[in-house]
Amino acid sequence: MEFYLIAISITVLIYMLMASGLALQYGFTGLINFGYVGFFAIGAYTSAILSMQGVPLPLTFLAATLLAAVVAYPLGIITLRLSGDYLAIITLGFSESLRMVLQKEEWLTRGVHGIPGIPRVFDNWAGPVSGDLTLLGLLLIVNIGVFVLMRHLITSPFGRVIASIRDNEVAVSALGKNPASFKTRSLMLGSALGGLAGAFQAHYVTFISPEQFVPLITFYVWIAIILGGAGRISGIIVGTIILLTFLEGSRFLRDFVGGVSEVQLASVRFWIIGMALICTIIYRPQGLFPDKTKKRG
Amino acid sequence: MDWVTIVNAVINGAVVGLLLALPALAVTLVFGIARFPNAATGDYMTFGAYAAVMTQMFVSTSLVVTALLASLATGLLALFFYGWVFRSLANRSPVASLIASIGIAFVVRSSITFFAGQSPYNIQAPLVRAWNFSGIRVLPTDLYIAATAAVALAAVFGLLHFTSLGRRMRAVADNPELASASGISIRRVMLTLWSIVGLFSGLGGVLLGIKAVVMPELGWELLLTIFASVILGGLGSPIGAVCGMLLFGISQEVASLYVGTAYKIVLAFFVILCVLLVRPQGMFGKIIAVR
Repeated sequence: MEFYLIAISITVLIYMLMASGLALQYGFTGLINFGYVGFFAIGAYTSAILSMQGVPLPLTFLAATLLAAVVAYPLGIITLRLSGDYLAIITLGFSESLRMVLQKEEWLTRGVHGIPGIPRVFDNWAGPVSGDLTLLGLLLIVNIGVFVLMRHLITSPFGRVIASIRDNEVAVSALGKNPASFKTRSLMLGSALGGLAGAFQAHYVTFISPEQFVPLITFYVWIAIILGGAGRISGIIVGTIILLTFLEGSRFLRDFVGGVSEVQLASVRFWIIGMALICTIIYRPQGLFPDKTKKRG
Repeated sequence: MDWVTIVNAVINGAVVGLLLALPALAVTLVFGIARFPNAATGDYMTFGAYAAVMTQMFVSTSLVVTALLASLATGLLALFFYGWVFRSLANRSPVASLIASIGIAFVVRSSITFFAGQSPYNIQAPLVRAWNFSGIRVLPTDLYIAATAAVALAAVFGLLHFTSLGRRMRAVADNPELASASGISIRRVMLTLWSIVGLFSGLGGVLLGIKAVVMPELGWELLLTIFASVILGGLGSPIGAVCGMLLFGISQEVASLYVGTAYKIVLAFFVILCVLLVRPQGMFGKIIAVR
């Protein structure tokens, strides 16, 4: 039971890191990133491949974060002057293309076989349990750090500009600000958090393969922030906890409902995520915790 | 690479392009009239293909009956989701409809896999020998597929340009407020739009199912190709969607002779990027159409 609680808490915190990044992009800036899992994948693969070459872990985590941010830059430059729909299509295309590359370029990624045996974060830390506990502590500190930084960011001049871009882009450009530049920076910051989360994921599960980075993951994170309320930090926390409760809870569903196979259970999960997206958007557009500073969308 | 192989690839690409022009037209019409990129289009196609498999299992093996019933079923599906989801989101930002369309895509696909499983199915079509013109091979089935798609496309262009309903649809696409102020019923336009979307995506799915294998990811995997060609032709432009898809279909088949089939999605992604960099309004788009 202890192991299980620690494992779940680690997963919750990794998802929370991702949700923070996406919330920065969508909730605070209004960017529709449908390829968020791509940055998660970049982080995971960068850190995994580098650490297998013997690079020390702090450096690989840094590389994962930076590379995710750098990759977001050209996507932002190309699409952010156009409307939001283009960013959605481009990012979705980006994450699917990236997955194809991860699958096909075996010399780098071992293709569909995946990369096994990625070193754990605190491996030589007196056994796996205390190692995981230390990792949990580290993730907690990182998450709190991210929240503190985000609070600062939101109330800073930068935060006020991105919030007004989200609410009325024309007005912002009329005031002489360049929305594209602010959006690019927000896109890069959010993607960096995705990359960092990816690095944590790779070194926690110790095995990564392209099929862990399907678009479904992106929409898991989407549902977390939409459900919780996209424009608030409390929304990120509550949304992630609801999401993980659902993901973990549906695992036990099979004990209660007979005659459902493993494959069918996957379909049921998928169905619930779809329904949750539709119903939240229609019936609860502001999420469970509405952002009072945002105009009604 | 000898020229016969290339000609064969061009023919194959033209057939694929023509049949994918159906869902591409659906995407562009929704973008022009309802003003959001409908990410559920691919899974409407998948639904059409599975409806065809079901029809053949329980109703009739005739391809004509199958194609008709499956397209009708997909039409009803599209109307249902319009009535429940997109109608209530009409006054909100396009983002809301876009996210909802992703939700619909997931719901449709997971409902299919829950009942039909993950294993592939086939749509039964009579086996025919390809005509062979000194190496250039043409399958009669491909000709029927291309002809069916061409007739369906012609019907929609006829509807858009020669009927008063089509004129009203184009008016709504140009300026919804003005159209509504001139007494055009947005509701009827939308019902027609979503019927066309359903029928066309469904028919596209059936035709594709005849050519390839019916599986849960059938339509989703084509979504980017469809978006790429619609952006290439100019978002919201019907003629652009058809030309873009034809051009894309042919170049994709020819290109895969050189780079292999695995990178089709990547190719689509790069085409979108290049078009957006060079000519954001696409081949046939007006500048104002870019929002």
